Amino acid sequence: MAYQWKEQLDRLMKAGAAYADVRHYPKDDSLFMVMLNGNMLSFEQGRESGFGVRVLADGAWGFAASSNMADITGTFDKALSNARAAAKRLTRPIRLADKEVLSGSFTSPADLDTLSVQRDFQADFLQKMDKALAQKGVSQRISYISAQSKTIEYYDTEGAKIVKHIRELFPAIMVRGKDADGEAQERKYSPPRLGKTRGYEIMKEEHWLPEAERIVRELNQTLTAPRCPHDVRSVILMPDQMFLQVHETIGHPLELDRILGYELSYAGGSFVRLSDFGSLQYGSKKLNVRADALLENSPGSFGYDDDGVKAQNYMLIKDGVLVNAITSRQMVTEANERAGKQIFTSSGGTARATAFYRTPLERMTNISVDPGTDGTLQDIIASTEKGIVLSGDKSWSIGSNREQFHFANDYAYLVEDGQVKEVVRNAAYSGDTLPFYNSLSAVGDESTWQVQYVPNCGKGMPSQVMQLGHGVPVCRFDNVKVGE
Amino acid sequence: MQIKQAVEQLKALRAYAISKNVRATLSLHREDSHLVRLANSGVSLNTSEALTRVSVTAYADKKTAGVQVMCDLADKETLLEAVDKASEMLQYASPLNYSPTFPVIDESSEDRAGYDEGLAHISNEDILAYINTAAEGLENEDIKLSGNFSVGSTLSINLSTATEHTVVWQATDAQITLVLSSLQDKWEINAEQSAARLSDLDPKAMRKRLSFLRDKYLTCEAQQLPLGPCRVVFGAAATAEYLSLLCYLGVDGGMMKRDNSINLKEDIGKQRLSEKVSLIEDPACLDTFAIPADNHGRRRKKKAWYDKGVFTGFIWTQDAADEHGETATGHDVAHLSYSLLPGDQKVNELEELSALAKEGDLLYVPYLHYTGVVNATEGLITGTSRFGALMFKQDGSIVVPYNVRFTEKLGDLFGEKLRWLSSETTVYNTSSTYDARNPEALAVPKLMCCDDVKVEISNKSY
Ligand SMILES: [Zn+2]
Repeated sequence: MAYQWKEQLDRLMKAGAAYADVRHYPKDDSLFMVMLNGNMLSFEQGRESGFGVRVLADGAWGFAASSNMADITGTFDKALSNARAAAKRLTRPIRLADKEVLSGSFTSPADLDTLSVQRDFQADFLQKMDKALAQKGVSQRISYISAQSKTIEYYDTEGAKIVKHIRELFPAIMVRGKDADGEAQERKYSPPRLGKTRGYEIMKEEHWLPEAERIVRELNQTLTAPRCPHDVRSVILMPDQMFLQVHETIGHPLELDRILGYELSYAGGSFVRLSDFGSLQYGSKKLNVRADALLENSPGSFGYDDDGVKAQNYMLIKDGVLVNAITSRQMVTEANERAGKQIFTSSGGTARATAFYRTPLERMTNISVDPGTDGTLQDIIASTEKGIVLSGDKSWSIGSNREQFHFANDYAYLVEDGQVKEVVRNAAYSGDTLPFYNSLSAVGDESTWQVQYVPNCGKGMPSQVMQLGHGVPVCRFDNVKVGE
Repeated sequence: MQIKQAVEQLKALRAYAISKNVRATLSLHREDSHLVRLANSGVSLNTSEALTRVSVTAYADKKTAGVQVMCDLADKETLLEAVDKASEMLQYASPLNYSPTFPVIDESSEDRAGYDEGLAHISNEDILAYINTAAEGLENEDIKLSGNFSVGSTLSINLSTATEHTVVWQATDAQITLVLSSLQDKWEINAEQSAARLSDLDPKAMRKRLSFLRDKYLTCEAQQLPLGPCRVVFGAAATAEYLSLLCYLGVDGGMMKRDNSINLKEDIGKQRLSEKVSLIEDPACLDTFAIPADNHGRRRKKKAWYDKGVFTGFIWTQDAADEHGETATGHDVAHLSYSLLPGDQKVNELEELSALAKEGDLLYVPYLHYTGVVNATEGLITGTSRFGALMFKQDGSIVVPYNVRFTEKLGDLFGEKLRWLSSETTVYNTSSTYDARNPEALAVPKLMCCDDVKVEISNKSY
């Protein structure tokens, strides 16, 4: 195939293209198994295959994709004609930042590719989980396995040749019950990074059974708990909530395409302006955030992005000050031009596409908060006068420029005078992004730090779902509005 | 794609499944999609996707398993493998505690009334001409155009090994969003359109709305609204968002059984919402891309699920009915083409709201951004205003409010808080482009007015 792709790319260049790349997916396999109250309601496998061509001509992008390998020439031509048509409404010719031309490969770490494991192992696992979750107080029990295994071959007209074998596994268990008011409450567990592998070997009963027991116990505590008070207090976010806080109010607003207005017609913009880099006090001095695509064993690590740029680890927020963004080749050039100075030195290597029939966009890699020096969870609780510990993402809603947010949680307990008090139900909190991060008053140490995975980050038009990670410690924020 | 040829190829696949003693449903989904994306007043992306998906679901007693492949229909090897694989997977599927109904299609049907050749083959040039007309004279150094012009056609074919009959549906659709935004101030306004045929495209209507809002955003005072209750007039996008959630959390029997519904079985026949609310499904409405026959070949009928606020019953898909011992209602279909019937308030356009504000300030919220279900059984929904909110003041002035957040219950908004519904309806396109193309739209009153909607967060700037 390689020869054929090169020939087609050369043909586009001869026809006047300035740049082109092709991503060929010989296979993009998926598996989805769901067991709900003892019934395997979904047992599905999928295979997508095809190719997508991106062409830069007359200063504009054109893209075309097909699942029909018999129509390669027609699809390449379509991409070029789409670029030419797009160029008829052009305000700023696209220029790509320089990159090192690379050949290489990347494979997600996994001993056992979930798609290759005997299916009866997986059915057996779901049955065991279902049995473990069938306890008093539980009206609905759900366990599922979602996995992907794909091969991506990338070629561009600058000479890059990259092959990636991406393997993902996102299992989870969940229980739901009804409280005294007839309202549903739920608790779930999807594992953070476990060890060094993305493979099926993480599905060990001895790990999962205690977690099943825990979520049932915590659900039952919530079912009989009083309602969360409506007041202002410190919130202590556990990693299974902190990751989403970071995702929605640091990750998304720092995507450079959002900052430059490329998502205004759908996902939204960002309150961040180009003039903020190097000066905006995003959070308190305790806040240090990085985009780390080199973090071992995470869906936010992928070797090379879909611009063919090598994965990197760099700071976004240093001691509370905004210093960099989530960037691609196209956007860094445009940002520097629009700012009239060099803010970004090169692409951060974050352009990724979700499928062969979608185009690469700025995507979070592993947007992680560095561990701090405020000790363990117990230490943070002990130093909190009036607070609430929040765990488990139940709902989320964020302003279109990511300037404010509302989150609700599955599990919460109050803290008074440094002591753990009662569990409460229907906990939620809301706030404005910048004041919130500037109220960051405690950052947990390494013992509290976990890498949480996001299997379903939505963005773009046509829309795309991407997988990524967040390494986060327990964090405390003060003076936050709490309640339903 | 030639429909006749595709049906023949699927029938050949059916014959193969029968020869292997596999009981299965076979379905084809073909999309030809084209999307022009705009940002910073230029075309930022121009994409075409031609994708064919074939799904095989194998059935055994108390078991099912499915395989979906994306390939060309000429790729026989992949298609036959899909049948073999689905059959092989059955042995690993855990048995259900009920028997799933195997689809038996009693008669063939072909519904193509929603397919328009002109819209299916709209050119790049015509799309650009539409955009240029809609935005004519509205952009400048600070005000930039963004948007999406998503257009395409969808073909679905369903059959099973039980009979030779096929269910064919084909439609064209376009979903257009244009946004004007200020680089400096960060305000954003939009206009949207849904089209089922080429003649539905009306760029001048888009321009009229953008121009009206742009004028207000440039000339009226901008303000942070106080927290607390206010009278809100929701536009079609916001109403459609709440209505989608009402359909999702209110009418689906399977959701009720999962403790995920605002209604219980004992609520059937009860007055659950305002008398002003009649929610119907209309399988003949081409504007909402209705699919007249479900995947089992059952012809759908027009029906009210809330009749003047009275909840009339749950929808049961075949799977949910089988699992819970209910009778399927014939709704195994991608979407249900719902309509919220209009009311009696003869106020249908933005320009008419000023006069109405004499009775009290009106906050116009056209669109809700990023709604979240805070509590499913309570129907508690949170979301933020976006894209052109206006405050029509009692004194006749208009103020541009910064965005606000509401967290409200569906039962209240469509219940005691509902003040009036417009006398005219419009179609709001709710399609998403996340997965396979599946056009979807709701018919909603142009405006919906609710009292006592609480502003919970009020932004300090755009
Ligand atoms: Zn996201």
